[in-house]
Amino acid sequence: MNLLVKKRMSRWMNPIRSLRELGIHWSAALILFATWQGSLLAQSSNKANSVTSVSARHVIGLEGVRKNAQGQLTLANDTLKFQKNGEAAVEIKTVSITSVSTGQQDKQVGGIPVALGRAATPFGGGRAIALFSHKKYDVLTLEYQDKDGGLHGAVFQVAKGQSQSIQNELAANGVRVVEAQAKQAKSGTEDKSENK
Amino acid sequence: MVIASVLYFIGPCALSAAPAKQASTATKWNVLVDRISPGETNIDPAFQQAIYENLIEELGKTTRFNQIFRSGDRKANEAPELLILKTEVQKYQAGSETRRAVTTITGATKLRVDSKLCTKEGQVVFQSQVDGNVRFLGGNLRATHNLARHVAKKLKDATLPNISSETRDRSSDKSEVAHLGKQ
Repeated sequence: MNLLVKKRMSRWMNPIRSLRELGIHWSAALILFATWQGSLLAQSSNKANSVTSVSARHVIGLEGVRKNAQGQLTLANDTLKFQKNGEAAVEIKTVSITSVSTGQQDKQVGGIPVALGRAATPFGGGRAIALFSHKKYDVLTLEYQDKDGGLHGAVFQVAKGQSQSIQNELAANGVRVVEAQAKQAKSGTEDKSENK
Repeated sequence: MVIASVLYFIGPCALSAAPAKQASTATKWNVLVDRISPGETNIDPAFQQAIYENLIEELGKTTRFNQIFRSGDRKANEAPELLILKTEVQKYQAGSETRRAVTTITGATKLRVDSKLCTKEGQVVFQSQVDGNVRFLGGNLRATHNLARHVAKKLKDATLPNISSETRDRSSDKSEVAHLGKQ
């Protein structure tokens, strides 16, 4: 106990030693601050080279890719890539993309086999099945120009809520966003007012 | 001997077929598919682009046209005999696949467009209203495929002006203008 008190007293009594200790603390704080700043910088640089990737189905319009091809849609380094599993990626430079829009659709799951099964279900049971066997998905539409200036329109089907991230990234790169839903809602209200 | 006789009969036919093919491609129009105009409708951009892409694909299948250009394509400026396909959406009813599956009679996706084939000078050489619907099976975007198929069929069956007469008319117009200029 006495030893501790003596130690503390000596620290107060010897200002040079306490300053040296303080200096050590300051240097530790500086190192910590520098590390924190470094991590912040790294985060911001990651943001600048951010990679957005979603699983998508190509509906129509991308040159060199067959319809209904399933693949990975990736936006990185000012390039939008669509890569089918194990095949070469098809790339579109974001500078050539003139507009982007998103929408939502719904579809029946299972395709033709399930549709036939529903039709064969007796007592209208197929309709009840149809009521619960649907799924919503997002539609991502891009308008871009090829090297000759020709207009292309590519339509992708992505999981619900995933198209927004790609649209936001493209908008950040200066691509014009076409608000389909807002336009629809507006015209819908106009129609209603006309009916009144 | 047999090979020689076969070559004797087939050879001239094959040789004569090649110029005929060249002649047929020479007398065909080129077409530029213009951007789809939404008109007064609130058509979804996905439908607009799908109509455009399906039109290009279906027109290619018809073999009615020599070359098919996309809107804005710089190569189209050098194409000699060019028609421009203008499409304006006149009616768009967004359907629902689930409603179709549950009720059968409601939820149809309906599209109607006004298709015009114009010359570079703006003269309309063909005009028609075409429908494309999905009533029972399939997704909503299938309406755009059906519509494009119908447009392509109409264009395939349409009687377009003869290229030679069209060019003759144009050249005579030019000579008239030159004549008037001299006066």
